[in-house]
Order: sequence, then C-alpha cells, then structure tokens
Amino acid sequence: MITNQLALIKREIWEHRSIWVTPAAIAVIVTLGVLAMLMFASGFAAELDAAIFGAQNLAGEPERKAALTAFFLSTSWVFIIALMILTVFYSLDSLYAERKDKSILFWRSLPVTDAETVISKLITAIFVLPAAAVLGIIGTHIVNLVIASLWVSMKGGDGGMLVWGSVSFLDNWLAAFIVVVASGIWMSPFVGWFLLVSAYTKRSPLLMAFMPLILIGLLEGIILRTHVFAENVLARGDGLPIFRTVDIERFIETEEWRVGEGASSLLTHLDVVQFISSPAMWAGVAVCALLSTGAIYVRRFRDES
Amino acid sequence: MSSLVSAQGVTKRFGSFTAVDNVSFEVEAGRILGLIGPNGAGKTTLLKALLGLTDCEGELSVMGLDPFKQRKELMQNICFIADVAVLPRWIKVTQLLDYVEAIHPNFSRKRAEELLRQTKIKSDSKVKELSKGMVTQLHLSIIMSIDAKLLVLDEPTLGLDIIFRKEFYANLLNDYFDEERTILVTTHQVEEIENLLTDIMFINDGRILLDSPMETLGDTYIEVATSGEDADRARGLRPIAENQMFGKSNMLFEGISREHLEGLGELRTPSVADLFVAKVKGARS
Repeated sequence: MITNQLALIKREIWEHRSIWVTPAAIAVIVTLGVLAMLMFASGFAAELDAAIFGAQNLAGEPERKAALTAFFLSTSWVFIIALMILTVFYSLDSLYAERKDKSILFWRSLPVTDAETVISKLITAIFVLPAAAVLGIIGTHIVNLVIASLWVSMKGGDGGMLVWGSVSFLDNWLAAFIVVVASGIWMSPFVGWFLLVSAYTKRSPLLMAFMPLILIGLLEGIILRTHVFAENVLARGDGLPIFRTVDIERFIETEEWRVGEGASSLLTHLDVVQFISSPAMWAGVAVCALLSTGAIYVRRFRDES
Repeated sequence: MSSLVSAQGVTKRFGSFTAVDNVSFEVEAGRILGLIGPNGAGKTTLLKALLGLTDCEGELSVMGLDPFKQRKELMQNICFIADVAVLPRWIKVTQLLDYVEAIHPNFSRKRAEELLRQTKIKSDSKVKELSKGMVTQLHLSIIMSIDAKLLVLDEPTLGLDIIFRKEFYANLLNDYFDEERTILVTTHQVEEIENLLTDIMFINDGRILLDSPMETLGDTYIEVATSGEDADRARGLRPIAENQMFGKSNMLFEGISREHLEGLGELRTPSVADLFVAKVKGARS
C-alpha cells in the first residue's frame, strides 16, 4: 500500500512538472527581482541601498528582524497564491488528462486500485504541492539572504551579522509550513470537488468545476435572497481559522512606539489549536472525503469505450 | 483441466443497447484463443468485463476471481494491451520501468531491459518521441517481462506495418508463450494469426456464433469447390454459404461429414476469414 502510494505520487510529480517548475520559476523571478531592486536602488544612494535589507541604517535589531520578516512574508505569499492556482489546475487535470490521452486503460491494466490512484492525487494536491511550495519558499529565502549579505558586505557593512544574524529562520519557515498545510486542509473540499469533476467531465473541466458553484450562489441569492452558500463555500478561503485576531499592538507597541514581537515572529499570529478544533475544518475534511469517494466511484464504473 | 476463464450468461447493457448478450464460454490454461468479430460486435466490452474494467450481469470468473470486485489481485496475473490503451505520451522509458517495477510484484526489470536492448528504443526517450511501432515494442517488452498467467491482446497490432506485426507475434510465441500461459487475442487481421490459434470464437451483435478448438474446425466445416450438376447436388445438402469464383461455386458446409461431400468437388478446410464471413452473414439473414 505505502510502496504503491510512493510510486503513484512519484508518477504525479513526473507527469505534472508544474509541481516543481512553478516554485522554481517563482524563486528565480523573486531573486531576479531582488537583484534588480538592489541595482536600481544603488543607483540613487548608498544609504538607501543598504537600508533595503535592514542593514546598518535601521535603528536596531528588532527593526532589522521586522524588515527581514516583512520580506519573508511578502515572498511567501507569492508562493501561496501560486500554490492555490496550481492546486486548482492540478486537481482538475489529474483524472481528466488520463482519459483525454487514453492512457487510463494502461494505468488500469496494472495492479493498482482506483481508490489508491485517487488517494495519491488527493495526497499530491493537499500535501505534495504545499511541500514543494515550502521548499520553494525556503530556497528563495536562503538564496536572497546570501545575495543580500554579500551586497551589504560589498557596501562596507557586516553582512553576516546584519542579515543572517537578524533572521528568525525557524519561526518564519515553520509559520510558512503551517499556513501552507492548513490552507491545503482547509480548502480540501474544493480539491475533492475538482477531483470529482476531473473524473466525470468530458470537456472543459475548469468551466464544469466553477459554473455550478457560481450558479448555486447566484440562484440562492435570487430565489431565496440568502447568501449561505456564497458565505460558507465560495468565500471559504477568507475564513482560514489558523490566524489569531489581528492585534496592532503585536506589531507596534504604541505606548513606546517601538516594533513589537509580532512584527518579527510570524508564529505569534498562528493558532494551531484553534485550527484543529474548528468544526468547519472537520466538516470540510468530511466533504472532501465524500467527494473523493465519488471520484473513485466514477473512475471505477466509467466505461471509456 | 480446470478453466482459467469461465463465463456463464454474461450480459452487458448500455441503456437499451445490449453490447454482450448472454454469453457463456470456458477457456482452459495453455490455450491461444482468437476472439473474432466485426466492429461493434462486443469483443472489447467482453474483454473489459474479463479484465474487471466494467461490471456485467451473469457469472464471470477469471482464475477463480471476480474480475470487477478483485481487479487488483487479478491484474497481478493478467497483462493486457488494448487497441485504445496507449502508453502515456509524457512518460520516459526509464520512468515507465521504474513505475511498473514498483507497482507490479511479478515484473522483471532485468528482462524488460534485455528485451529493450534488442530494439532501437533509448531508455531516456519519452513515449511521444517514439513511432507507433516502437511504442508497441515498448509495451510488449513490459508485458513480456511480467510473469502473468493470462495475456489479453485487443487489436494489439492495429496501425502497425507488416514487419512489426510479424515480429510482434513471433516474439510473443517464441519468447513468451508456454503451456502455463494463456493468450486471448482479438484482431481484424485474422489471416495473420489463424496459424497461431488453438481455439477460435466468433462474436457478433454481442452473441457467440462459434466457439471451437482449431483442430476440430476442419471436421465441422468443409468447403467444396464444385460446378454443374455436382453443384446442384451439393446445394441440396444446404450449405451455410455459397459464392462464385472462376466459374466454380464455393460452398461452405457445417456438420456434414467428409464422406457425404466426397465426389461433389474439391474439398478443403475453409479459412477462418471465409468461415467468419459465412457465420456473420448467416446470423444476419
């Protein structure tokens, strides 16, 4: 069972190269962007240039940490947004492509059950894609810190101390990992729905996936004049229960006007217990299981001849 | 000998259309059965039922297993190449071997690599870079490296040129087939495989028209080339088919002994193709 799953997941990574090409491409784009920014800024003034990575111009350690955390956060979100788009396209393609290129009979000629196949695609969507995004985030941060520290050193600053010494690696990476995995689990009912559409539809999986969702939302609003579906399903992404309530004091301690702990520690904004104990999260997992079972059923009973 | 495949009253319906209609047959181990039928006859649907790829009514057992319910266990001892089952175009040859090696307990990678070395297929090539003939060679190399009891081939040489077709069947017979293994094959090019078959089955409109060992076919079916008064006498014996060629009447008889037909003309065993045409036309009239 585990050997089969590993082989099946490996197959997904071979087939859907975008799983690793997208994070790699984003990493390259972000890095080139940072380099361009550094070169552009250095054309104006050395002080401005050095300030970009929170070097010596910044007031002190907390400010430097906050500046680097802001950089971490902004680049991480690029990966997370790309991950969401990638998950939609991957899930919709995963059971559709094998029927479109008619390779499904080959895959089904081997001793693998339909359930194992669909589960491998579910695991890929919910865990492998996020894992690739986290690796992309970590890689981008390391490369950019190397560039930043070299740059600061070239400008006469202590790159090692000013850049590397001011980073909360584990805090930021762990936070990115938790947010990415929690997002995958939170949005899993959509993954289940996309897998079902992917197994069922004969054409245009993207249209077939989103049209019913939009229509239900519209019809509910027009006929019942309520927005239960829109608020609970279509806007589900807004309610990810991993974040604590925003408290400005955690970013800036207004009494003394100094940078608060929350500005340099992303973990302080996350509440894993709140996420795990969220009924809406577990309801989503149940819906995902139901829809994925539907995808298994469709793949098993569908006759492609 | 126990049956490897046993079908009793197997029926498959798609809405109001009956693709396989109350079919019953047995296949014993160590045989090469040719399943012959026109397009839409129900061959592929029947094979899919045997492979557990579609559900059906009736009793169907392959190696003692229910194909639909126990497909995973079944696929450990069955291989198949289907006409529409193309290998995924994006995959590399090495990836394909890696995957099958990880998934299939009866696959020998060493043997597959030996077989591939005899071809022009490179291990780092993608399937989409190979010609159709090479894709079939690749698929066959994988299939022949799996220690399976039953091999199902559904139009395996469709679209291949004559050299590849000949090589395909030669490889299959020389390197794969033995008395432990059973092959079930459907093809349009029946003339190319009739010498390989031990058994033959005709299917049309979802029903079996003929199910016979090849060795007794010549006893049951006799073709007579005749003319003149002999032709009139032969017609009295109610041939199942008749056609005119080079001024002679060729009549095909079923179940009439050789002694009865002696003296009416030149006797011969009909080709499978002629027999097939006669049976299908007979079923339609």
